[in-house]
Amino acid sequence: MLPVFPLLAMLSLAASAAPSPPQKSFDEIARQADSARNADRMTEAIGLYREGVRLRPSWNEGWLWLGNLLYDQDRFPEAEASFAHFVVLVPKPGPAWALKGLCEFEMRDFAHAMEDLETWVHADFHGSNDLTDVAAFHWALLLTRQSHFAQALYVLADRAQRRGESPVLLEAMGLASLRMPNLPEDYPPEFRERVWLAGKAAFYVSMHDFARGQEYSHRLLAEYGQQPDVHYFQGTLLKFQLKPAEAAQEFRKELEISPQHVPALLELAQIDIDSSDLAEALSLAKHAVEIEPANPDAHHILGRALLAAGQARESAQELESAERLAPDSSAIHFHLAAAYRELGRKEDAQREMATYVSIKKREGDLDRAAGGQDAEHPLEAPK
Amino acid sequence: MIAILAPALLVLAVSIPPQDASTSSRSAAAVQGAGSFDQLAQAAKRARDENRDDAAIDIYQQALKLKPEWDEGLWYLGTLLYEKENYFEACAVLRRFLARNPGDGHGWALLGLTEFETREYTRALDHLQQSIVLGLGDNRKMTATVYYVTAILLTRSEKFDESMALLFSRVASGENTSPLVEPLGLAALRLPFLPAEIPADRREMVHMAGAGALAVEAQRYAEADKLFSELESKYPGQPGVHFLIGAYLLGARPDDGIKEMKREIEISPSHVPARLRLAEEYIKRQDMDDGISFAQEALQLAPRDATAHMVLGEGLIAKGDSAGGIRELETARDSLPEEVRVRWDLVRAYTAAGRTEDASREKGEIERLSRQDAAH
Repeated sequence: MLPVFPLLAMLSLAASAAPSPPQKSFDEIARQADSARNADRMTEAIGLYREGVRLRPSWNEGWLWLGNLLYDQDRFPEAEASFAHFVVLVPKPGPAWALKGLCEFEMRDFAHAMEDLETWVHADFHGSNDLTDVAAFHWALLLTRQSHFAQALYVLADRAQRRGESPVLLEAMGLASLRMPNLPEDYPPEFRERVWLAGKAAFYVSMHDFARGQEYSHRLLAEYGQQPDVHYFQGTLLKFQLKPAEAAQEFRKELEISPQHVPALLELAQIDIDSSDLAEALSLAKHAVEIEPANPDAHHILGRALLAAGQARESAQELESAERLAPDSSAIHFHLAAAYRELGRKEDAQREMATYVSIKKREGDLDRAAGGQDAEHPLEAPK
Repeated sequence: MIAILAPALLVLAVSIPPQDASTSSRSAAAVQGAGSFDQLAQAAKRARDENRDDAAIDIYQQALKLKPEWDEGLWYLGTLLYEKENYFEACAVLRRFLARNPGDGHGWALLGLTEFETREYTRALDHLQQSIVLGLGDNRKMTATVYYVTAILLTRSEKFDESMALLFSRVASGENTSPLVEPLGLAALRLPFLPAEIPADRREMVHMAGAGALAVEAQRYAEADKLFSELESKYPGQPGVHFLIGAYLLGARPDDGIKEMKREIEISPSHVPARLRLAEEYIKRQDMDDGISFAQEALQLAPRDATAHMVLGEGLIAKGDSAGGIRELETARDSLPEEVRVRWDLVRAYTAAGRTEDASREKGEIERLSRQDAAH
């Protein structure tokens, strides 16, 4: 033991005797970091913010600036780590959820990206217009990837109306329109032309330039009319243009190519309900439920067809199934209220209507927060 | 792409001046680890020199943990990851390198090429264009690859004219034209696809269009006539074919060119460039009403198209509507401040309208643009 003590003593003496640079205070570093950032000396600012948050890990502003600066340099893993600190420190991180989600998207961590972007969406889309556009666009890409095509198109068409045409927007709209659960960077090259044509058609129709939309959708049909989803897409475009008979023809053509195409079955069933062809509507909707028993839309449309056919009890059962599968769908609550009214269940009907109103209000708030309108989205199938 | 670029990267790699590893970072942690860092840096270099790429990557990663801002390490790690086709990680490393070296044209080029491989096309195009602006030195292989990928990405972004200009600049520089045929064909037909995305049943069409465009550029008109005639007979209903042939014929046989352009509009009713070519041709023939009408149609389809504003302005001036023409030309100039044709149009229009100061200002801008061009 003895020899150890002198060595330790020597070491500690040496350490204390060595000249050490004067330590900067946290306040000084924070001030220098802000000055460097304001003077566009980004690399220096990053270094200073790093030092600042090392000295004071609770410095939330430091984490946020550090994350922003790293994000601007496309250094996503490092930026994500900074935003992760920030969102823990601040009760309402707002746009930081979007930025964190965008970093995760770039890191191919799609599950967390979706989670964080949805947290941001439900916090009312806080952030600048530019951030809102970028984050909503990436959210739409992830919605497409998860096969929520109509919802994705809703978000993308809103961007189209506010920002106009761009190659990335067309590609995203094309993928959602053709019901391809892919990201722009991971679909097969041989699909490029059809994705582009569908994107062009969807873009112009969402801008209410139907003639130009039709020019591209006709090119799509001419080249790829025998491929799945192409006639279905054409049908949705025609339905939006209030041409139900022509739309129905396209849905039937889709069913010839893809007999199990549930969205085509349901679109056709809805057109039948509107034109009181209830026998076919019931048959199509039942077939859709058989193919996809866990699809809330299938139960919903079958419930509507049964209600129109005067079978209120069976209708309520189907709509209750739909409600269980999609409790946040306002349209399902609305039709369930109607079924309960038919059955004389006034209290149940009132409860469903109250839920319907509450959801619609929330949807309206989200629309306004996203800069959109309350009206039905041009490319979303009316429910 | 790898096969084309790998030798170019090697040339680049040996041309990077190595830094003194021990002084490349000033952090306290790095100073403490200086001994082991130097050993790692030397071992990484040795592994790289001996083509033991996996080992080199591993050692560079270890060294960079000790000195995260070691530029030489970031660069070599980025190039090695690229060569190993580990593009996603290469991007992350190169972005760190470029954050510290934003003026490095080679760095932007390699990042752009890496993003091309990960199919981040918008970023790839931005970064490749940045590398061209900053300069790529005398590495011809690297330059050829960067220009090629930039051109095909411009086409995919529907910037067909910019793509054509870039591709023809490569032809003019004496580059082997074979790899340029399909990119030229796509841009000429205004199809926003990469060569790898050409539909199988139209690859021949694209090839013929590209070969025809090359023949025109080389003034081999008999060959161009033959190719375009064959293209038209085989693909008469395909969008883009009549526009390409029409653009060629407007120079040689303008009446036939007009017919082709009109045929294109029948096939592609929203074709803006076909309308603009027709407008120009009619204005040239002093048929102002038709010229203005086509320019106005183009503007209805593309209200923000600067070229359409320019052509309409020229038509209106020629018809005697000085105020309307100047308004359109000024709109075009605001969108295309570097377009000399608009500036000359404005010089003439301002002079005719007695606005000598404005005319003089535009002349000054033309001189400035000429000097800028000469400097490049």
